[in-house]
Amino acid sequence: MSGKCKFLWNLMSGQRFRYGAAIAAMVLSAAIMFLPPLIGRAAIDYVIDGKELYAPQFVKNFVEWFGGRSLLARNLWIAGAAMVGLTALSGLFGYLKGRWASIASESIARRLRNRLYDHLQHLPCSYHDKTNTGDLMQRCSSDVETIRMFLAMQVVEIGRGGVTLAVAVPIMLAMNARMAILAMLLLGPILIFSCVFFIKVRNIFKQMDEAEGAMTAMLQENLTGIRVVRAFARQGFECEKFGEKNARYRNHWFGLMRVMAWFWSCSDAMCMAQYGIVLVAGGYSIAAGRISVGTFFAFLMIVNMYLWPIRRIGKIMADLGKATVSIGRVGEILDEQCEDHADKVKIAPSRAERAGGEIVFENINFAHEDGTHVLDNISLHVEPGRSLAILGPSGSGKSTLINLLLRLYDYRDGSIRLDGRELREMDRKFVRSQIGVVLQEPFLYSRSLRENIKLGRSAAHDEEMVEAASVACVHEAIADFDSGYDTVVGERGVTLSGGQQQRVALARAILKDPPILILDDALSSVDTRTENLILGALRQRHGRHTTLVIAHRLSTLMSADMIIVLENGRIVQSGTHENLLKEPGLYRRLWKIQSSLEDDLGLTSQPTE
Amino acid sequence: MTTEAVRPKEEEYSGQFNWSVWKKVFSFAGPYKRHLRRLVGVALIVAATDVVTPLVTRGVIDDAVQNRDEAQLWFWAIIYAILALISCVCFWTLIRLAGKVSTGVAHDIRRDGFRRLQELSFSYYDHRPVGWLVTRLTSDCDRLSRITAWGAVDLVWGGCTLIGVSTVMLFLDWKLALYVLAVIPPMVWLSIFFQKRLLATSRKVRKVNSTITAAYSESIMGVRTTKTLVREEENLHEFGGITHDMFGASVRNAILASMYFPLILSVCGFGGAMALWMGGVDVMAKLPTSMSIGTLILFISCARIFMFPIHELSRLFAEAQAVQAAAERVTGLLETEPEIKDSPEVRSAIETRNESGPQAGVAIDGQAEKIETVEFRKVSFAYKEGKDVLKDFNLTVKPGQTIAFVGPTGGGKTTIISLLCRFYEPTSGEILIDGVEYRRRSLHWLQSNLGIVLQTPHLFSGTIRENIRYGNLQANDGQVEWAGKIVNAHEFITEFEDGYDTEIGEGGTKLSMGQKQLVSFARAILADPQIFVMDEATSSVDTETERLIQNGLAKILAGRISFVIAHRLSTIRSADRILVIRDGRVIEEGTHSELIRLKGEYYELYTNQFTEQRQEEILAGKTQQ
Repeated sequence: MSGKCKFLWNLMSGQRFRYGAAIAAMVLSAAIMFLPPLIGRAAIDYVIDGKELYAPQFVKNFVEWFGGRSLLARNLWIAGAAMVGLTALSGLFGYLKGRWASIASESIARRLRNRLYDHLQHLPCSYHDKTNTGDLMQRCSSDVETIRMFLAMQVVEIGRGGVTLAVAVPIMLAMNARMAILAMLLLGPILIFSCVFFIKVRNIFKQMDEAEGAMTAMLQENLTGIRVVRAFARQGFECEKFGEKNARYRNHWFGLMRVMAWFWSCSDAMCMAQYGIVLVAGGYSIAAGRISVGTFFAFLMIVNMYLWPIRRIGKIMADLGKATVSIGRVGEILDEQCEDHADKVKIAPSRAERAGGEIVFENINFAHEDGTHVLDNISLHVEPGRSLAILGPSGSGKSTLINLLLRLYDYRDGSIRLDGRELREMDRKFVRSQIGVVLQEPFLYSRSLRENIKLGRSAAHDEEMVEAASVACVHEAIADFDSGYDTVVGERGVTLSGGQQQRVALARAILKDPPILILDDALSSVDTRTENLILGALRQRHGRHTTLVIAHRLSTLMSADMIIVLENGRIVQSGTHENLLKEPGLYRRLWKIQSSLEDDLGLTSQPTE
Repeated sequence: MTTEAVRPKEEEYSGQFNWSVWKKVFSFAGPYKRHLRRLVGVALIVAATDVVTPLVTRGVIDDAVQNRDEAQLWFWAIIYAILALISCVCFWTLIRLAGKVSTGVAHDIRRDGFRRLQELSFSYYDHRPVGWLVTRLTSDCDRLSRITAWGAVDLVWGGCTLIGVSTVMLFLDWKLALYVLAVIPPMVWLSIFFQKRLLATSRKVRKVNSTITAAYSESIMGVRTTKTLVREEENLHEFGGITHDMFGASVRNAILASMYFPLILSVCGFGGAMALWMGGVDVMAKLPTSMSIGTLILFISCARIFMFPIHELSRLFAEAQAVQAAAERVTGLLETEPEIKDSPEVRSAIETRNESGPQAGVAIDGQAEKIETVEFRKVSFAYKEGKDVLKDFNLTVKPGQTIAFVGPTGGGKTTIISLLCRFYEPTSGEILIDGVEYRRRSLHWLQSNLGIVLQTPHLFSGTIRENIRYGNLQANDGQVEWAGKIVNAHEFITEFEDGYDTEIGEGGTKLSMGQKQLVSFARAILADPQIFVMDEATSSVDTETERLIQNGLAKILAGRISFVIAHRLSTIRSADRILVIRDGRVIEEGTHSELIRLKGEYYELYTNQFTEQRQEEILAGKTQQ
């Protein structure tokens, strides 16, 4: 709990002063708010009824100096004006409180959102691998919202409730102690009732949310699967199923309304009883001459001021629990360590520097956190500008090799060097900026294709972009879209096929023109003919990038300067295309498919002759 | 993908008051007329007690001041107690009634909307994202139902309280009443002014909020790409722009809200001050016609009583536009007629058949139950006018034949299948089932005789058993497992702890793509359809499993017409006829060996496919040579 308070307190840094000002404004606003009833009381008793003025001595002196009762009686508007003026003044402070509190709480929320966003970007991939996206989203959206509501509303509301009472009680006690006690008789029960009620019905709220969620989920599922519904002509069945969820939601909702009907009418009854007590007791007190009409008036006004809002406190109290849970959930993310927390950067080249592109792996071993061994004593050497092809069954460690080079995962044993410098000792952002990667399932941002491609190098000209797109064989496809390069990815009606996405990502990497280019099964969804075109274009750029290619198709791999075959995390074969063809092994087996195809075609064409 | 981007513009209002829409809004409340009438009655009583209560306060004061010890305060106490009791009971009834009406209306609109959505053609869905449709049946419905019940309450209670209190004041002292009532116009104006703006700013907040959510989702999904592109700083900078907008919008909203109440309270205070001044002068004059001190206090506090009804009414007014827009969208949905439905002739045939009772071999539309042949005759189709996806397509399928479609994506293969399933109808040409144009047969009959397996299999949340049984709701557990065995899914299913009763999560997230395809395959087999349609049905299943499925499938397909889109060789090769489709036309047609000998497009596709498949097998370690 104290950890959570500290978390909140830290979040508030920079806004604490503004929060303090908001609290001060709130106190002033509440204090001034009680003055108009007191002026009304004085006007009624002192001016209209001709009784003595009950007020501190300095106020009496001031009134006497101002002109006394006769002047005020002749100019009763002064009392009215004072009432309006003070109400407006209280309102002004109320406004300032609202303004400052909202700026403070929204600043905090903004900072929290930005921090979360940045933190998520910097968390290691191993964290993202093991967490569920939906859960993260939930924490970033609704939990942050709960915290924001807590800061913007709940804290302020509870504070206001407290301040209002703190001001009202002494004023009432000063006017008439017996009446004051009577006026607060039911305050406790009302407060307790509302708190207990909302804590008790939390479940009902939750159940209704769940029923609504279930209904929405079913609706969503039905609409996305509408083809299946039609294909099996299950409309009737679906309507029945939805009808059940719909009715359940209605019943829960109505159940909540029924409970709320009890709450509002009971708490109303208690409030009205409290008001009634003041009314009748006041009447008797006036009759007995214990209080004046003005005092009675002031009591009625003040009771009205604090009585009705107090009922809301219960709901807020019940929601406070949610806020502490949310703070915990958000804090969990922020407590995770960023990928570079333990980095000891010894070499910090400027990001503008261009690496030569020599890559050396030496005795690299790697195991996942759960202990599964992925890479076993890998050593390899790629000269700048040369190309390395990696072949191997899935799960053999190909992608891990790439991920280590990109520092998406951290290696502990062995050494990886770029241009002779140890990777671990360099700024990882520098390393990444030297590498262009295209993944099998590339990620495109939901913005225009132009922006997506230019993410590689934002300063690039349109001509360069078109050139990169042409190398990636995607220019024509893009030009075919109605809005060309301005087509927004993922927007209605425009969906890129898997092959197109891969080619856009390739164009992005080509435009970046990095010293090292990595294609991780990057053309798997591109048809063979197009792939050959792309490879031809890339070959013309030979020598410009050190290239690492992972692929299944031999046609993609065979022209590499060196080919390695990975199996179970070990390099089992390496050499050029010609060398590998001479050795028995995976590579040769793949190559032999060609001849088995001829067999297949020969066999199938005979029987029908 | 941002949710905002895919949503058609929905929050733009025409501003014009549209009477016919409002009539429809209240027609939704038709079944609850009785409740609504009682609701209005109760709201009237609540308004009455609100009007009378200040009079009791006045009575207490005047009685106590004038009669001192003879004051009959117990009388007022009883009156007050009765009023309070009535008020609480009425309030209780009011909430229950309004709850009944609003939840009921929401339920009914949703029910009707859902039913309509089950009938609407796919062309309707093509233009509307699922999220948009869901919003229609959730928040729009809630909004409409709220206004039918609570809007009526606010209107009656608010209006009557205002009128009642004003009347009492005018009756007691019309001159002073006019002074106090003068605060109503500025109050109404202020309320409407602020409510409208508050509504607009809170809508803006919601909008920016969904952008933030989308940005988070993008950043989490694309975290590797962001890292490899070293985009962290730029991304944060852009995200900072969005949170800045959020900050601006929320603060604007909060500031407006914190201006609103103080201003309204000040106006109220002004009314009270007028009463104190004018009334006070009158009381001080101590003439026989002067008002009592109790009346004075009543006037001072009356300005405050106006506040709540005016607040509620102006909120109602400000929301009216949003509600009208919601109503237009919802009624738009409810009134859309499905483009594809049974013709009047078919419907009357179904009725005649219903009267005569079921007969063996006769379908629900009175025609033959058995499907022998299918024929496409000069079929063309375009999703968008002028852009033909399929041109003059001809195909005759004889009993029991398997037809395979191959060709590049976007060539029109899936369109042929959609037309066959009558998800769409041809723009020209006709499709004949046993020589009868299929628009002259029952839609329900046709679709319940199809077994369709799609590439992206859609499963429903629930257990595996429930999902397979979706194909035939009457199937028993043995039949479900039989279907599971045929597609070779039985093995992986029984490996789960709960076997067939394993919950698969929303959309089947707990299963792999291949497993989902197998389950959806089993579902189609259980349906025992006359026509089998497979659209890349086993693309994510490994070759070994695929081979096993083929064996089981051969038995199932025997004697049935089937259509297959596939790139798996085994499926294609065994087909009776193979059509190569490109750009909406058939470019090659024949059996496997005929097409191989042609050495054209099919030959190329086949050889590529062969190589890839073998590579895959070798890499997976399945075939050791």
